[in-house]
Amino acid sequence: MSLALIAALPFLGALTPALTQRFGRGIATATVALFSAAALLLILQHVPAIMAGQTITTQINWLPTLGLNANFRLDGLALLFALLILGIGLLIQIYARFYLDTSEPYARFLTYLMLFQGAMLGIVLSDNILLLLVFWEMTSLSSFLLIGFWSHLPKARQGARMALATTGAGGLAMIAGLLMLGHVAGGYDLSTILGERAAIQASPLYVPALLLILLGAFTKSAQFPFHYWLPHAMAAPTPVSAYLHSATMVKAGLFLLARLWPVLAGTPEWFWIVTSAGLITMSFAAGVALFKDDLKAILAYSTVSHLGLITFLLGLGTKAAATAAVFHILCHATFKAALFMLAGIVDHATHTRDIRALGGLRRAMPISFALASIATLSMAGIPPLNGFLSKEMMLEEAAHTAPWVIPVLATFAALLSVAYALRFLVYTFLGQAPAYAHAPHDPGAGLWLPPAILAALVVAIGLAPMAMAGWLVDAAASATTGEAVHAHIALWHGLQPPALWMSLAAVGGALVVLGLYPALRAAWDGAHKPDAKAMFDAGMGWLTKTATALTQGLHNGSLSRGFAVGLCSFLALGLYAYLSAPTLPGTRALTQISFAPVVAFGLLMTAALAATALHRKRLLALLLTGIVGLILSASFAYLSAPDLALTQITVEVVTIALMLLALNFLPKTTPRKTAGFRKLRDGGLAVAVGTGVAALAYTLMTREAMFPPISAFHLAQSLPGAGGHNAVNTIIVDFRGYDTYGEIIVLGIAALLIFALTESLLGTRWAVQPDHAAGDEGDAHPVMLQTATRLILPMAMLVGVYLFLRGHNEPGGGFVAGLVFAIGLVLQYIASGQDWAAARRRIPYHAMIGAGVLVASATGIGSFLAGRPFLTSNFTHGHLPPLKDFELATAALFDLGVFLCVLGAVMLALDALARLAKPQEGR
Amino acid sequence: MSLGVEILISALLVIGGCFGLIGSFGLLKLRGAMQRLHAPTKATTVGVGASLIAAALATYMATGVANWQGVLVAAFLFLTAPLSGLMLAKAHRHLDRPTVPPTGTGAPWAGERPVKP
Amino acid sequence: MLTYALTFAIACFALALILNLWRLATAPTMPDRILTVDTMVINIIALIVLYGAKAQSAVSFDAALLLAMTGFVSTVAFCKFLLRGGIIE
Repeated sequence: MSLALIAALPFLGALTPALTQRFGRGIATATVALFSAAALLLILQHVPAIMAGQTITTQINWLPTLGLNANFRLDGLALLFALLILGIGLLIQIYARFYLDTSEPYARFLTYLMLFQGAMLGIVLSDNILLLLVFWEMTSLSSFLLIGFWSHLPKARQGARMALATTGAGGLAMIAGLLMLGHVAGGYDLSTILGERAAIQASPLYVPALLLILLGAFTKSAQFPFHYWLPHAMAAPTPVSAYLHSATMVKAGLFLLARLWPVLAGTPEWFWIVTSAGLITMSFAAGVALFKDDLKAILAYSTVSHLGLITFLLGLGTKAAATAAVFHILCHATFKAALFMLAGIVDHATHTRDIRALGGLRRAMPISFALASIATLSMAGIPPLNGFLSKEMMLEEAAHTAPWVIPVLATFAALLSVAYALRFLVYTFLGQAPAYAHAPHDPGAGLWLPPAILAALVVAIGLAPMAMAGWLVDAAASATTGEAVHAHIALWHGLQPPALWMSLAAVGGALVVLGLYPALRAAWDGAHKPDAKAMFDAGMGWLTKTATALTQGLHNGSLSRGFAVGLCSFLALGLYAYLSAPTLPGTRALTQISFAPVVAFGLLMTAALAATALHRKRLLALLLTGIVGLILSASFAYLSAPDLALTQITVEVVTIALMLLALNFLPKTTPRKTAGFRKLRDGGLAVAVGTGVAALAYTLMTREAMFPPISAFHLAQSLPGAGGHNAVNTIIVDFRGYDTYGEIIVLGIAALLIFALTESLLGTRWAVQPDHAAGDEGDAHPVMLQTATRLILPMAMLVGVYLFLRGHNEPGGGFVAGLVFAIGLVLQYIASGQDWAAARRRIPYHAMIGAGVLVASATGIGSFLAGRPFLTSNFTHGHLPPLKDFELATAALFDLGVFLCVLGAVMLALDALARLAKPQEGR
Repeated sequence: MSLGVEILISALLVIGGCFGLIGSFGLLKLRGAMQRLHAPTKATTVGVGASLIAAALATYMATGVANWQGVLVAAFLFLTAPLSGLMLAKAHRHLDRPTVPPTGTGAPWAGERPVKP
Repeated sequence: MLTYALTFAIACFALALILNLWRLATAPTMPDRILTVDTMVINIIALIVLYGAKAQSAVSFDAALLLAMTGFVSTVAFCKFLLRGGIIE
């Protein structure tokens, strides 16, 4: 349970800011920090076991039939990432507390941040790849909220959308890829997948799965050509950039590459795709970084470049390269997070991030200068800092890889990174200070302490790599490669390794580049560069246009077009089915038919045809459809489906009442709109589809089902499983109780919506006055009708109660009972008027709907008390002397909920429409 | 089932069927709208009532279970047939404006608007 | 004898339905049509009950009961609509 608890802690923390914000930002920050710190401590408690080579796992079955289980695992790789996420997360929380202005909605920020932290932690701790996908999507969503936190800025909104669209699309591809992977491996748990290397790489699905997974990883980790979103995401507040774009989210893609490294790496496909993507990203982004003037833009491209470096190392597929990759993940997180925070400090102090307007800050901001020097030099790969160590390891690996272009490009990228790092430092802190509007000064400890801690780590890891990080790198690299790794990280390897010479070349080259900078810059500025944002916008615009065209083509709001498209598809599929299996009459013998049913069905058909032909006269059409409903109810009774008959009868009456109410507001006839060719075309289509449906019904009814129908199960299980003789009712309230539960809620919502709509129309000019011109008979409420209907009400209720009580065993149930009650009440409305009825109504209909849903929910939850799943029914047989033996089933309580909901919903809708139809006062 | 009961049920069925048919035939054949109102409300109600008694008796004889729904059905029919008749007559009077004799009480017919002076 | 009587009654009511259909098609006014549909409901009630007697099942009585109770509601609602232009005031 403990790992699941750790994964849950940040989410629990996300709930707290809403409660603690009233006590001030300090308390709110301290509370969420407490949750992060607790998670960190719980992780650290497992360190000895992981050092001993163990893997900590927790298994919780969630949806085992789908292979989706809440399984968590903590090994070296997960440990490294968890420490980064939680450790840097803590520093970010402190930094954000002092960074964000007091006018910002701080509690919301903290909630988003914790949601993101939880999602990231979930990714690295997941053992089940489907669970990992869930968390993966959550990072996309929560990062969207964080990037767009300053939602009043168009740039923030655009950046957030771009990030979401790109990483979300990659995520979709990844879903497919991981599903393929799990399919090939025979399970969705990493513990299963990681052992199936041979099977996976031999499978024909390997290449598609690899491509799709890489698409997900590359979009998340901003690899070329999906790098464009990251610089635009810099519109986020700096703490977000420091957290998401240095240490966590962009590393999620790398995490996935490392996680699946044992099964995916080592093939030529992997090598060429991953290595080249990494190498291109690394050198290309380093080059762009050199020509950016915004501090955060430089850092953004630098991040892309470093992500490329790590991707490149993972792509090489060797144990040593993977070790270097893991080590660089750690190093990059430390110095890059510090640099982002420092960029934020400079921004705060000088109100600009443009490198051309900065300079000479070393005197005004000595602390920041010192910290920035450490972090920047580490980024440039200058000894004795940790960035130097991991870059040396990278160059060493590159040097041993053929063809020659790889080491050359790697050296070139290193050269560029030295150049932009030096430019970053020199232009900001050295040289002449321009005239600042406000004298810049170092910030308070709250802002500089977090980067200072990171800078201290940069130096410490650089000076004593084995003592500080060796254990973690060993554990993480072992987990990544699946073999025991003992890294030897040292500052000095002698003069032999080519990496030393490549580094020196890089530094020398960088100085040359900086010397030539003005000329290069002029060339860069003059060059025609593709604009990623414009291309993205054009792509999105094209997508939107295509989607709109498609949607408009299929259904542009015209009902007949929508129908035509749907019916044509049915027709095509039906024709295909008919042509591929051409036996219309089946094996079953036809039943004998007698005189009366023939008459009744003849009546049915005549009425249906007449209703179609006369549909323009609305009242007559309604009368004719009433006949159709009547015969339908009678056929249900004739064909021994009494439950359906009862329901159909009551539904018919309520429908007619509601339709007549609606007819109030409509003209008495439908205008003639279609004519000529269109009429012929639509009629032809309708006849064709109708014939098809008839043929389908005939075909189905004249043969045995291909598979045994489920009705046999329900009939057999009705009594032993649900304690009722009436299988229809036990299906509704028990076997498919969940469906019914959803349906009554939907019904309630629909009724409330009708109420809300009519309520908002009351008293506005849209409340069309009903057309009373036709009927102006003086006697609104005939006395005889009033008297008789009042007599009928208790009788109707008696019938309703009777149908309800016996519903579990014989035809009836809550639905029919509710409708019978409703009909009794509707009669009062008709006979005595809405005012009269409303004045005598004690319980509001809203309350009935609510009570119905609550009773049904309570019944469902009640089964938890018996330790069984939601809505498991329970029953016992009772015996009360004068009555027959009866069942006491919890399903009857559930049925009561159905009854209340149906009654409330029907009456609320009716009452609302009736109120709207009344002549309104004051107009 | 004794012969007497069988004869009784059969007689009821024949009576029911005849009255039902006569009711619908009258609806078709009678000339005035008010006359047509008589046929289904009276003849058909008798017809369906006789059929109900016959069916209830037959079911009781066959299964031995008393069947009270039949009684309720008849009760409802007898209670509601006048209501339908009333409303239909009012509708007819309102829409088709047939000439009706004065009420003789001084008050106008229900629903009739006082004639404007 | 019972079977013959039952068949006779059913045939009568079925015939009545045909007459109703004829009436519906030729009815001079809207109240006539409503009256015809009301008669149809009653004829159908009779048919349901008679078929129940034929099959010796009590279940069909429920449908008849409900139809008897609710059938006239539509009639009243239609008339009210013709009389007052709205069914609930």
